Amino acid sequence: MSEELLTVFTWLTPAGPLLTFFVIILLFNRFKTLSWVLAWLGILSSWIFGWTVAFNIIGDFFENYEHLVENPTVVASSIAWIPAGTFQQWLRIGVAADALTAIMLIMVPFVTTGIFVYSVGYLRWGEGRGVNPVKGKPNHDGIDPLFSRFFAFMSLFAGAMLLLVVADDLLLLFIGWELMGLCSYLLIGFWYARTYDNPEATPPRKAAVKAFLTTRIGDVFMLLGIVFFYRVFGTLTFTDAFTAESLENAVNLIGVGLIAVMVLLLFAGTVGKSAQWPLHVWLPEAMEGPTPVSAVIHAAAMVSAGVYLMLRLFPLVAVAIDTVPQAGIIIGGIGAFTAFMAATIAVTQNDVKRVLAYSTISQLGYMIAAIGVGAYIAAAFHLITHAFFKSTLFLGSGSIIHGMEHGAEHVHDHHTDPQDMTNMGGLRKKMPFTFWTFLIAGFALSGFPIITAGFWSKDEILAETWFEGGQGEVLAFIIFWALVIGAFLTAFYTMRQISMVFLGNSRTKLAEHAQESNRFMVVPLVALAFFAVTLGWGGIPEDFPIFGPILKENFFHEFVGTTVEATLEELAELGVISGGIEAIPTNNFPLIASITVALSGLFLGWWVYGRKSLETGQQDPLVRPLGPLYTFLFHKWWWDELYQKVIIQPTKTFSRKVVYELVDKGIIDGTLHLIGRSVFRLGYYMKRFEEVVITGGVDWLKDQVLSLAQEFRTIQTGRIQEYILVSVLIGWALIVVVLLINSGVLDGILN
Amino acid sequence: MEFLQENILLLIVFTPLAAGLFILLLPDDEKTLIRWLALILSFIPLAFTLYAWFNYNRWEAGLQFQIFAEWFPSIGSNFHLAADGISLPMLLLTTILTPLAILTSFNIDERIRVYMFLFLLLETAMLGLFVSMDLVIFFIFWELGLVPMYFLIRHWGGKDRRYASFKFIIYTMAGSLGLLLAIQVIGLSMGTFDIITLMDRWVNFQSDTLPNTGLPVDVVKNVAFWAFVIAFAIKIPIWPFHTWLPDAHTEAPTAGSMILAGVLLKLGAYGFIRLVIPLFPEQAHVAAGVLAIAGMLSIILGGYAAFGQWDFKRLVAYSSISHMGFVVLGIAVMAWVYGAEATNGKMVSDAIYATNGAVLQMFNHGLSAAAMFFLVGVVYERTHTRQLKEYGGIWTVVPFFGAALVFTSMASLGLPGLNGFVSEFMVVRGAWNPFTIQLALSMLGLLMTGAYILKGIGFTLHGPLNPKWKNLKDMTMREHLVIWPLMILMLSIGVWPRWILAIINDTVTRIFT
Amino acid sequence: MIPLWWYLVVAALLFCIGLYGVMARRNAVAILMAVELMLNAVNINLIAFWRYTDPADTTGMAWAIFVLAVAAAEAAVGLALIISIYRSRDSVVAEELDTLKY
Repeated sequence: MSEELLTVFTWLTPAGPLLTFFVIILLFNRFKTLSWVLAWLGILSSWIFGWTVAFNIIGDFFENYEHLVENPTVVASSIAWIPAGTFQQWLRIGVAADALTAIMLIMVPFVTTGIFVYSVGYLRWGEGRGVNPVKGKPNHDGIDPLFSRFFAFMSLFAGAMLLLVVADDLLLLFIGWELMGLCSYLLIGFWYARTYDNPEATPPRKAAVKAFLTTRIGDVFMLLGIVFFYRVFGTLTFTDAFTAESLENAVNLIGVGLIAVMVLLLFAGTVGKSAQWPLHVWLPEAMEGPTPVSAVIHAAAMVSAGVYLMLRLFPLVAVAIDTVPQAGIIIGGIGAFTAFMAATIAVTQNDVKRVLAYSTISQLGYMIAAIGVGAYIAAAFHLITHAFFKSTLFLGSGSIIHGMEHGAEHVHDHHTDPQDMTNMGGLRKKMPFTFWTFLIAGFALSGFPIITAGFWSKDEILAETWFEGGQGEVLAFIIFWALVIGAFLTAFYTMRQISMVFLGNSRTKLAEHAQESNRFMVVPLVALAFFAVTLGWGGIPEDFPIFGPILKENFFHEFVGTTVEATLEELAELGVISGGIEAIPTNNFPLIASITVALSGLFLGWWVYGRKSLETGQQDPLVRPLGPLYTFLFHKWWWDELYQKVIIQPTKTFSRKVVYELVDKGIIDGTLHLIGRSVFRLGYYMKRFEEVVITGGVDWLKDQVLSLAQEFRTIQTGRIQEYILVSVLIGWALIVVVLLINSGVLDGILN
Repeated sequence: MEFLQENILLLIVFTPLAAGLFILLLPDDEKTLIRWLALILSFIPLAFTLYAWFNYNRWEAGLQFQIFAEWFPSIGSNFHLAADGISLPMLLLTTILTPLAILTSFNIDERIRVYMFLFLLLETAMLGLFVSMDLVIFFIFWELGLVPMYFLIRHWGGKDRRYASFKFIIYTMAGSLGLLLAIQVIGLSMGTFDIITLMDRWVNFQSDTLPNTGLPVDVVKNVAFWAFVIAFAIKIPIWPFHTWLPDAHTEAPTAGSMILAGVLLKLGAYGFIRLVIPLFPEQAHVAAGVLAIAGMLSIILGGYAAFGQWDFKRLVAYSSISHMGFVVLGIAVMAWVYGAEATNGKMVSDAIYATNGAVLQMFNHGLSAAAMFFLVGVVYERTHTRQLKEYGGIWTVVPFFGAALVFTSMASLGLPGLNGFVSEFMVVRGAWNPFTIQLALSMLGLLMTGAYILKGIGFTLHGPLNPKWKNLKDMTMREHLVIWPLMILMLSIGVWPRWILAIINDTVTRIFT
Repeated sequence: MIPLWWYLVVAALLFCIGLYGVMARRNAVAILMAVELMLNAVNINLIAFWRYTDPADTTGMAWAIFVLAVAAAEAAVGLALIISIYRSRDSVVAEELDTLKY
C-alpha cells in the first residue's frame, strides 16, 4: 500500500471515535440505539484503519526485514501546530507508525471493539422491564437513561487512546493521555448520583476525583519532563529526537545525570497512569465505574498508556538506565515492589472486581520492572497479552455481577452485595460461557505453562530479570525474586477467585438464581479469551524446546525489536550505552521457577478454596494462619488511610485555614484593614479639628457680628422724616465744622 | 474603505461610547428597547475589530492602523493609537465578551439604561487602553476603566457590595497613584509621552541626572519601575496584592464578573508587556526572578485558596489569581530575556514561548473565566445560593448546564485539546530554563487546579439530587447564546491554536529578534 | 435798589419753612407741599443771583425754569404715589408708612 494512503490511515485511526463523541454529544444524545450504532461504527473504522496500518507494517517485516530495521518508522507525518518564532521553529505534532505502534494498533481497537459490543448488552440489561429509570445510578430495571452519554465518553476514551498510540511526539501523546484522564474521570463517575449506605465505601463520584487527581500528580511531573525534553532536544517528535546523533548530542549537552532526571520526570507520568506505587491507590477505586469502563481502563487503554509511554521513550530510557544505574533501580524497584505488594493485597480481597484491580496493578508492576532492567520487548509482550486476558477477566466479572444481580432481581434481595465473592459460589453451571472464558483468562493471568499467553510473556520478564541478575546486578536478583513470589501469589489468588465464584455450592439465593448474560456480552468474551491463549504463541523463544523450532523464529521479539534496534546499536557504537538489545539465551532456572510457582499457586488456591466449598458466612480460611498480616493486607497496607492523614486532610486544612483564612483574610486583608482603619481614624480627627477649630472659630466670629448688628438695627426706624432730620443735623454739623476750619478758629487746637 | 482603514481604531474605541451616550438619551422605561439596542450596538465594535483582524498585515507585524493627532502640545502629549499582534487579540477578547456580558445582563431590571451606559463606557476604556501609544492617553483610559466598574459593583452587586466596590476602587487607585507620578516624571524629563519614542529615548538615556528635574537617573528609573510594577501587579492581581479580587468578583453582578475577570485583569498584564518591560528592560531583568516567584506564589496560593472555598463564585475568583500567575510567569521570562545583555537562540526561543504563552493565556483566561462566572451566575440565579454544599446532583435536572460546566471547567483546568492547555504549556516551556525551581513548585498549583475544579464540579453536579432543586430549569435560549460562542472559541484554540497564535507570534518574534 | 442779601434771606426763610414742613408735617400731601416750598426757595435764589451777577447770561433763568418743570413733574408723581399708598393702606400719615424699617 502506498505510503501516502498509509499516512492518511494513520491519521484517521483515532478520528472515528473522536468524531463519534462529538456527533453523539451534539446531535444524537436522545437516540440510544443510534448512539451505540454510531459508537460501533466509529470504533470499527479505527479497527479497519488501525489493522490496515498494522498489517502493512507486519507485511514489511516479512518482506523486507533489513529495510524495516534500518527504517523502523514506516509512517511519519506532522503539521505545524504551535507557532513560536519563525515557521521552521514552530512546534509540530504528528503521527507515526512503527512495529510498536503496529502491535498496539492490533490490540487496542480489537479489545475496545469487544468492550463496545459488550457495553451494549451491559447497559441494556433487563430492557423492556424498566419503569422510571433514574439518571446517574445503576438501573436494574431498564436501559440506562444516560446510555448515549456512556457511548460518547467511551468513544472519546478509545479515540484518545488511539491518538496516544499513533502520536509521534510527546505533545500529541500528552493530549491523548490527558483526554483519557478526563474520560476516566467522567466514566468512573458515570453513576454520579450513586451512594452507599456503608460510610466507608467510596461512591463513584469520589473514586472519579481520586483517579483524576492521583494520575494528575504524575501528569504534572510529566509535563515538566516534556518541557525539559523539548528544551534539550529542541523537538518533541520521537522520530527526530531518538536518532543516535540527537541522543548523543543531548547526553553531551546536559550529561547523563540530567537525562536520568528527565526520564524519571516522564516516568512519574507512567507511575500515575499505570497505577504504580505510590500512586496506585486510584485504580482499585476506579472499579466504581460500570464494568466495561473498568475493562477499558485496565486493559485496552489508560493503564497500558503508562507502560506504552516508557516503551515509546525506550531509546531515552535505555540511555538513562544504562548509564545511570540509579534510574534503573528506581524504575525496576518501583515496578517490582508494586507487583509484589498488589499481589499480596489481591489475596485478601473479596470484591470480585477489586481482586482483578489489584491483579492489574501487580501485572503492570511486572512490565515496569521489565523496563527497569531494560527488557523492552518483554514489557511490550506482556502489555499485549495482559490486555487480552485482563479484558476477558473484567468483562467476565461484569457478566458475573449481572448474573448475580439477575438473581437479586429474582429473589427481591437488594441488600446482599452482588459483587462480593463470599456471596457467590457454584456459578459454573449457571453461567457456562462466563466460567470457561474466565477460567482461560485466569489461567493466562496465572501463567499456566505452555498453553496460555500469560505464561510466555511473564516467563520472558522473569528470564530477563534473571539474566540481568546473572550480569552481577544485585537489584535484578531482588526484582526477580519479588516477581517470582508475585507470580506465585497471582496464581493463588486467581484460583481463589475462580474457586470462590464458580466452584462449590451457591452460598446465597442470588447465586442460586444467577443466569448467563445476553449474547452481546458473551460473544466478546469468547473472542477475547481466544486471543488470551493464542497470542502467546507469537512470542515463543527460538531455542525453547519443541515449540521454538516449530515456529522457527520468535516473531514478536524480532518484530517489536525493529523499533529500537538500529538506534540502540548505533548508540552502542557511539559509546553512549553499553549494548543493544538481543535475545537472551533461554535459561532453565527462571523457566522452571515460573512453571513451578504457577502450578503450585494454582494448586494451593484450589486446595484452600476449591477443594471444599466455603459455607455461607464462613470466615476466609486465610484469616487464622495469617493473623494480623491478613488485616494488614485486607486494608491494602493502609495506604489510603496514610494518604488521607498525611496528604489529603493537611491539604484541606492548609487550603482553608492557612492560605485562605490566615494569610488572605488574616494577614493580607488584616494589613489592608489596618491601613484603611488608620486612614479612617486620621480622617476622623481631621474632621474633629475642622468641626472644633475651624468651624467653631468662624461661627464665633459670625455670632459676634450678628449680636453687634442686633444692637444697631434699631436705628433704622423706617420713618423718612426722621432720616431727614438726622441728615439735616449732620449737614448742619458738617457746615459748622467746615466753617470753623475755614475761619481758623480751630487752628490752635488742631495744631 | 480607505476611511475605514485609516480610522479603524478610532471607530473601535469610540463606537461603544457613542452607543452608550445614545442609550442614555432613551426613556428609562423602554427596558426591552434599551437591552436590545445595547446588544446590537455592541456588535459594531466587534465588526470593526474583525475588520482590523483580517486587514492586519502579518508580514509587517509592527504597529499598524496608526492614529496620530496633536492633543496636548504644551506637555508634549499626543493622541496616538496603534495596534499590533499583542493588542489585537485583546481587542478581540473585549469586543467578544462585551456583547455576551450585555446578553447576560438582560435579566437586570433596575436602572437598565445607566447600567448599559456604564458597560459601554467600560468597553471604550478597555479598548482604548489596549491601543494607546501615549502614556497620558494610556493613563486616562486606565482610570476611566475604574469608574464604571465601581458603579456596576456598587449598584448592581450582591449584599457586601459597598465593601467590595470600595476596596476595589481604593486599592486600584492607590496603585495608579504611583503610576501617575512615574508617568509625569518620565514625560517631564523626556519631553514626550509617546511610548514608541520613549522606548528609545528613555531607555537609552545617558546621563546621571534627568533634565528639567535634576533627579538622579538610576533612582528615578528604579522608583518608576516599581511604581509601574505595583500598579499593574494590583490589577493582575499578583499575590499578595490580590485580596480585592475575590471580594469584587463575589459581589459584582454576573456580567460584571465576566468583564472583570475576562478583560480588566488583562489590563495589568498588558501594561507589563507594553510598558514595564520595554521601558525598563534592565530593571525588569533584575527583577525577573522576583516576578517569577510572585507568579509562582499566585499559582500555588491561588490554587490552594480556591480549593479552600465553599462559595462557588469565590472559588472561581481565586482560580483567576492562579491562572493569571501563569501570565506573570511568562512575563517574568520575557523580562529576563528582553533585558539580558547577551542572548542566545535558546534563550530567545524560551522568551518567545513564554511571551506567546502569556498573551495567549490572557486571551484564554478571558474566555474560560468569563464562561465560568457566567455558569456560576446561571446556577445562582436559579438557586439563590452560591454555597457548594447546598447544591448537589443537579446534573440530573440540568443536563446541558452540567455539560457546559464540565466543558468550561476542563478548559480552565488546562485539559489538552482545550484552550488553557496550549498557553500553559507554552509558559511552562518558556519558564523551564530560567526559572526551573519556581516552575517546578508551580506544578503544585497546577495540581490544586485539578483539585478545586473537581471540587466545584463534584459538589454542584455530582451526588444525589438535593430535592430542593427538583424543578430546576435548564439553560434558556439566551444563556445558550452566551455560552456557545465561548465554548466554540475555547475548543477552536485548543484544537487549532494557530489561528490566534500566529498573529501573536509574529509580533513577539519581532520583539526578540 | 434792594440789595441781594434781602432776597437771599427771604429764600433762606422760605427754605427753612419748607424744611420744617417736610420734617414736621404728618400728612404726606403737606410734606409734598413743603417740598414745593423748598424748591421755590431755590428758584428765588437762582433768579436773584442771575439778576445781580450777570443778567446777560440766561443760564440762571433757564435753571429756574428747569426746576419749575421738575417741581411740576414731582408734584404729579408724588400725588399719584400718595393716592396709591392711600388706596392700599388707607392712610397718608408719614409715621405709619414705616415698612422700610429693620
